[in-house]
Amino acid sequence: MSIAASLAIIILAALIHSSFQLSLSVLTILSGHTIGSKNTQKKLFSLTTNFLFGAGIITLLLMSVIVLILINLFGSNSPQVIWAGGCGLLFGVAISVWLFYYRRQKGTALWIPRGVAKYLMVRTKATKMKSEAFGLGMMSVMGEILFIIAPLFVGSLAITQLPAPWQILGIIVYAEISLSSLSIIWFLIGRGKSLSKIQRWRENNKYFLQFVAGAGLIVLSLFVYVYEILGTTVGGL
Amino acid sequence: MSSTVEIIKGGGDRPSETFKRNKLYKSLVSVCMSVKIPQGQAEDIAGSVCDKVITWLKDKSEVTSNDIRTAAAKHLKKLHQEAAYLYEQHHIII
Repeated sequence: MSIAASLAIIILAALIHSSFQLSLSVLTILSGHTIGSKNTQKKLFSLTTNFLFGAGIITLLLMSVIVLILINLFGSNSPQVIWAGGCGLLFGVAISVWLFYYRRQKGTALWIPRGVAKYLMVRTKATKMKSEAFGLGMMSVMGEILFIIAPLFVGSLAITQLPAPWQILGIIVYAEISLSSLSIIWFLIGRGKSLSKIQRWRENNKYFLQFVAGAGLIVLSLFVYVYEILGTTVGGL
Repeated sequence: MSSTVEIIKGGGDRPSETFKRNKLYKSLVSVCMSVKIPQGQAEDIAGSVCDKVITWLKDKSEVTSNDIRTAAAKHLKKLHQEAAYLYEQHHIII
């Protein structure tokens, strides 16, 4: 696989990752509690920045672990069956996103079990220190692991195809892009944008975002299938 | 309001508790401040909404926490729509 094709897969996978919403919801609640508890703008900036770092670090760690496991198992040429598994995972998660991602009710309530949602709410409310915000950022990424595992896995497969110096760059690019939506919300909150406007936009566009995430996964699945499976079997004949 | 109104929490999954004006007041002040309403005005709004909710509770002995939230949001909406929106959304964001 060429470097350009690998990077294209990594970027598309990271964009899909960034469209998942749990971290955005937690960041919105964290900001609401922080502003509502008469904290300063400096405190808000500090907590939300640490939240962002937490989400970024756990994404980097997850990506690095998956890449390391894949390289140890298969080297830089993963067998086609693994790519086929990645395509299936993407397709399955795409259908799940379309069917289950948002609950059919008002607001932006997600698929996650209500017990987990309540726990996240309680933890968010209790977050007063930077380290807690950092941990919360990590937890919010882990909370969506069932959905983000698909783009993470295929992104990691693409990274293993890159030459060694490019692999670190690939991991960093993935983590950076996957944080883009969270960074936008972080920036808007930091600039004083009303939380109710942000939440209203998210609520009004939730089904569009759900459709885009699912469609992105299907497109990535087809791209990987055509390029990596068909391209090396039919094209290789 | 009857001397004590029981609040059924979490659809009965969690232990019920008696209605506490201060708890409702604090949550309303917090949500008002999170939409950048100055503290004094936020306290006025919260106080006014609490009074309306207490009047509504007058002939009741038992309500759910969701009923309280709905009633408070209804009265808050008349005073500040953005704050009411965020108050309604709080439990349905995640």
